[in-house]
Amino acid sequence: MFLVDARITGKRLVARDMYVITMHAPQIAATVLPGQFVNIGWSPGPLLRRPFSVYRVDGERIEIVLKAVGSGTAQLLSMIQGDRVSCLGPLGHGFEIRAGTRTAVLVSGGLGVASMTLAARQAAALGIRVTWVHGARTKEDLCSESDGDDLIWATDDGSKGVKGTAVAAAPDADLVLACGPNRMLAAAAERWPDAQVAVETYMGCGTGVCLGCAVPLKRGGYDRACKEGPVYRAADIDWEALPSHLSYAVPVPA
Amino acid sequence: MNRQARAGRNANVDTSVEVGILKLRGPVLAASGTFGYGTEVPLLEREALGAMVSKGIFLRPRAGTPPPRIAETPSGMLNAIGLQGPGVEALIRDYAPRWAEWDFPVFVNINGESADEYGELAARLDGVPGVAGFEINISCPNVEQGGLYFGNDPRAAAAVTEAVRKRTRLPVWVKLTPMVTDIGVIARAVEAAGADALCAINTFVGMSVDLNSYEPRLSFRTGGLSGPAIRPLAVHLAHQAARAVRIPVIGVGGIARAEDALEFLVAGCTAVQVGTATFVNPLAIAEVNDGIAAFLEAKGFSSLADLPRFLPRD
Repeated sequence: MFLVDARITGKRLVARDMYVITMHAPQIAATVLPGQFVNIGWSPGPLLRRPFSVYRVDGERIEIVLKAVGSGTAQLLSMIQGDRVSCLGPLGHGFEIRAGTRTAVLVSGGLGVASMTLAARQAAALGIRVTWVHGARTKEDLCSESDGDDLIWATDDGSKGVKGTAVAAAPDADLVLACGPNRMLAAAAERWPDAQVAVETYMGCGTGVCLGCAVPLKRGGYDRACKEGPVYRAADIDWEALPSHLSYAVPVPA
Repeated sequence: MNRQARAGRNANVDTSVEVGILKLRGPVLAASGTFGYGTEVPLLEREALGAMVSKGIFLRPRAGTPPPRIAETPSGMLNAIGLQGPGVEALIRDYAPRWAEWDFPVFVNINGESADEYGELAARLDGVPGVAGFEINISCPNVEQGGLYFGNDPRAAAAVTEAVRKRTRLPVWVKLTPMVTDIGVIARAVEAAGADALCAINTFVGMSVDLNSYEPRLSFRTGGLSGPAIRPLAVHLAHQAARAVRIPVIGVGGIARAEDALEFLVAGCTAVQVGTATFVNPLAIAEVNDGIAAFLEAKGFSSLADLPRFLPRD
């Protein structure tokens, strides 16, 4: 875990209201694993940091994906090249992608693309055939960037690709990774109990001490999205008890 | 996190403090519930500590409250964790042995649903290597039984304190709630019941509402408000408590910078606890600690004991 005073180096639009921000964070870029995240704070800013999956690594830079969902993210989006943020990471327990796996399906909904690119690249490096299923409300909401051998699009309104959910549009594979609204992940858990899913929760410290990011488990009790998570075996989570509360959540029919 | 931070390391200034019979190497303590059991945080942060107070513990394991557990508010946060914890036996097995190796005292924040349960916890932990003392939590707003109930009734507060006092010779601190009409009444009651020091204050009870769901933002509905939002309230209440008693008061509430801590110290506190700030800045404790020494040096004081304080006794 590093605490990096990170300089913002770029910003680009990748879907409606959805941006990639690039920042210079060499120690994090060198050590981050797929599915891990950073907790970002700035001054003047809100009291708490904001957690973001690391989307891509480019040399000494890392990238995050965000939409303006509140005043905090709006402030972050208004920053310009050269502005600085305090970047804590890499945090959490990411995806486990093993050599010897033949095929992988990556299922992302909306901002869920954020944790998929590093996973796609690691899987490809291990010789795994990667199919990435992108889901969103409409074609304008689909992230314009992707990795993988095969791409499948799914939109709620059918404006691009398959009409329906990303989960429904996805083929089976030896390894399934998913990230998106918790409602989408709950649907993924029904179909693939062994899928590895990255959950969304509110988060306080990001380092395991505040216990604010509680994830309810099927076996009872809670653990921490920031420490044991954010990636879980899909069937291990008590989805009924995990709110899908974040305002960017893409509506997914139950 | 490559920075030097060690309590009292500023050779020009003595920032050690005495909380009752206990001498601490520095005035900055980690507040309960914001530092886990001390094992999650970077080593450098521990080196800056005068002492640490563990996450609150009950006799038995507790699952805690369902999510959402936290909500950000202007300059603050609401939490309703519900004292999630592994229970005292796991604490003794998994954490106390680590504490025994550390060079600063670790206090255990103890909780119960009855005065007897607090007493039992103290008896179980008394003598366990690594346990330096107790912080009695009679102020948690996020449990259905006990907690705050004991903290806003002087007789109940005294009964809990006495139950613990009888079962241990270790230092006993009592963490007070701000949710009272006169904190001095509770402060005097627990002092008379044998407390060695007071911690003032715990969180304020608050509520925040989600305008999409038309429900409270926390599943527990209410939560404890912490962070800079409560600091002036906390300084005042800690001062009120310090005026009411002869035992030391440890100030806590919204401290994020050295200047914040110094306010509590000047207002009559012996030491301070840093809590929510650690969530935001993992180096907060070290920075507060270094900043206090730097302030004293800049002002020409050779010791924290020389810091002017206003503490009119009634």
